[in-house]
Amino acid sequence: MNALYYPKLDETVCRETLENGLTVAVVPRKGFTKSLAYFVTDYGAIHKDYCFGGETYHAPAGVAHYLEHKLFDMPGDRDVSAEFAAMGAMTNAFTSYDMTAYYFSTTEHFPECLRLLLEFVSTPYFTQQSVEKEQGIIDQEIDMNLDAPDSVIFENLVTSLYETHPIRVPILGSHQSIREITPEVLYSCHRAFYTPGNMLLCVIGDVDAEEVKQIALEVLGTEKREVGQKLPIAEEALTTPEKEARCKMEVAMPMFNLAFKCPAVGKGEEAIRQEMIADLAAEALFGESSQLYLELYQEGIIDTSFGGGFETIDGCAMLLCSGDSNKPEVIRERLIWQAEILGREGIGEEDFLRMKRSAFGRRVRGLDSFDSTCFRICAYHFGGFDYFRFPEVYETISREEIQDFLKNYVNYENSSLSVIDPVEQEAV
Amino acid sequence: MIHTISLAPGVTLRCFPDSRFKQGCISFQIIRPMNLQEAAQNALIPSVLLRATRNHPDLRSITHKLDELYGAAVSTVVRRVGDYQTTGLYCSFLDDRFTLSGDEILRPVLEFLMELVLDSPTENGGFLPEIVESEKKNLISTIESQRNDKRVYAMDQLFRLMCREDSFGLSRLGEKEQVAAIQPVALYEHHQEILKQSQIHIFYVGHAQPEQVADILRPMLARMERNPVDLPQQTPFHTCPGENKTETMEVSQGKLCMGFTSPITNRDEEFAAMQVFNTLYGSGMTSKLFMRIREQLSLCYGIGSGFYGSKGILAVSAGIDFDKVDKTKQEVLALLEDCRQGKISTEELEAGREAVLSTLRATHDSPGSIENYYATAALSGMKMTPAEYMAAVEQVGLSDVVACARSLCLHSTYFLKGATE
Repeated sequence: MNALYYPKLDETVCRETLENGLTVAVVPRKGFTKSLAYFVTDYGAIHKDYCFGGETYHAPAGVAHYLEHKLFDMPGDRDVSAEFAAMGAMTNAFTSYDMTAYYFSTTEHFPECLRLLLEFVSTPYFTQQSVEKEQGIIDQEIDMNLDAPDSVIFENLVTSLYETHPIRVPILGSHQSIREITPEVLYSCHRAFYTPGNMLLCVIGDVDAEEVKQIALEVLGTEKREVGQKLPIAEEALTTPEKEARCKMEVAMPMFNLAFKCPAVGKGEEAIRQEMIADLAAEALFGESSQLYLELYQEGIIDTSFGGGFETIDGCAMLLCSGDSNKPEVIRERLIWQAEILGREGIGEEDFLRMKRSAFGRRVRGLDSFDSTCFRICAYHFGGFDYFRFPEVYETISREEIQDFLKNYVNYENSSLSVIDPVEQEAV
Repeated sequence: MIHTISLAPGVTLRCFPDSRFKQGCISFQIIRPMNLQEAAQNALIPSVLLRATRNHPDLRSITHKLDELYGAAVSTVVRRVGDYQTTGLYCSFLDDRFTLSGDEILRPVLEFLMELVLDSPTENGGFLPEIVESEKKNLISTIESQRNDKRVYAMDQLFRLMCREDSFGLSRLGEKEQVAAIQPVALYEHHQEILKQSQIHIFYVGHAQPEQVADILRPMLARMERNPVDLPQQTPFHTCPGENKTETMEVSQGKLCMGFTSPITNRDEEFAAMQVFNTLYGSGMTSKLFMRIREQLSLCYGIGSGFYGSKGILAVSAGIDFDKVDKTKQEVLALLEDCRQGKISTEELEAGREAVLSTLRATHDSPGSIENYYATAALSGMKMTPAEYMAAVEQVGLSDVVACARSLCLHSTYFLKGATE
């Protein structure tokens, strides 16, 4: 495999795209006991509509997540989790809007665990009975989310930000939509998107990269198969359809999510540049070292729960901040006002260099976490970028680009505010 | 691997030198016996310290300083460690090897950390009133926000219910009323008092050598007036009559929490067996609770158990439909009864042991888990190193875990249900 050394990070990545289409990325970390493997498909909750084998499919909401649950079933009553556990390994999975990841971490038996991961994810096995039984579990997960203010507030936010984008639909689907999921639906999605050409295997630990590659070829075979084509998601105007969404829940004080809709970033190096520019813009506008943060904090309008950054999901991008506040509308006004000032007057060179240095340091520190590193490598890989090149991208960013970003996207027309008020207020 | 250096009377620096990481981490913790009178004050102080120093008079200048130090992060520490409440600051920062053009970070970070602890601006012998007021408001809102996460809230209620006679029933952050009553002068005096009297633990993990860290810290600590008092020993659970409580809220899903007690704590030989038992019974995706109550009966999405070693409390929590509460309780108890009767397969036992071992083997793989093990677990009474602990886990057999299951008694139950069925 090709080993590439990144001197600024003192990291090496061994990378190769195999003949079956699978990309393998191994980050060797000498002297660590734990190793972590992510097997990830470029397919998530928003990819319900696709073409495969000349046919078009429209799967029910929540299908990617349902599939994630059911992939742990294996023929012959095998229990995947128990097999990992017997090797002292821990396995789990998650479904996001635009990818689905299966992973394990272990301190022993790495090759056997890797084999098992690749085997269970590439072996669909669904029966009518097992698919129906899962409904009860996912019903409970949906109910749990309905009680989780963080997920409700975000789901309300995106429905007011976007008119048609599938991010409007919750990752888990609904009690109704999951009842339309059958074994056939799951098999079709698996065939279209769980083929090596649509996947990435990322491993971090004190492991042998060649061995990882050999195991991947042995378990998945060498054949390159068709990959499902996601139907294009229509681009939307930056103007938001709703400026505000409010509801009441059992929360202690009002919570808010405030977002400014931005153009989707696309793929490749230009995309990650956009993302880093936006992150720095967020820092300049409302980061802890900004003028506005200090004012709002001292006025008691925000507290330590306040934070935010730039979020991108296939076809979506937004500058987002969130927290607890009794005056969320004031936060929106002041953010827009401050963005106008920064857009007009720009950011001082010294402030800009300090912010860049801080963002660089935080990203490098983040590499100490195996999980976050694996996650980022995967997310950026599907975005067409090698994550470990971030230091050089920082060097190319200018403060004028940050100024332009704030000028162009932080305005009322592009904004939506989602608020959850406590239920007590109406109880009289 | 751990180097212990006494920096001043009752001030201990422990270092775990390790060059595998890109960052260094340091925690500064003041150790206090947990008690109702001072819990809120102790919890408030770190947030007040983080707001200003004499040289860095506002939040913005503090954040600028941290930005210049390559995005170093300082956060407040308020932990419950058995009968103790530890409060202070935790700082993680880029290692000097990764800075551009050879900038040094370790020394300025340590100096800044001590500046935060020792150099607060004062007014009339107290912390600045506007800072105290604003941080009181923040702390009260943090306390109130605990009810936003219903699982956390329900567990907290269970502990309040079953630990009416134990420090474990006290809130780690203090009570709202006590926060509201805090005055700037009294708070500053309390800070000076606990800085003088308390045991102070400083923990460093990172690339630097222990003596280098000690040399940077010593002159700053020499400014502190010290008259340390010994800490009381950790104590086992102080019991009271059990209770069952149901509370109603506007929620879609019920939260059931069941608290069991055992005489076994992390200071006892049987602790390793209890951890193995907890793992096979209720922790993770292969445990008995998960396999039966979620996978076979589809009664819930999340279910699990946790063992609180300093007190010998095992707590089970589950998110369920309101009408499934009796069924779930029965199943939790029936599975415990199975364990008491030795109905544990070789695979379950082996998997439980392996899971505990695996976590222990990875203890040294992240700065956070290193700090957690050596700075926290040890303080709660755990005397074993990870290697000794692993050796003890290897020896755990079926009869040992059965004995642990038999030692558990259901004490109290808490159920959070919806207003409308």
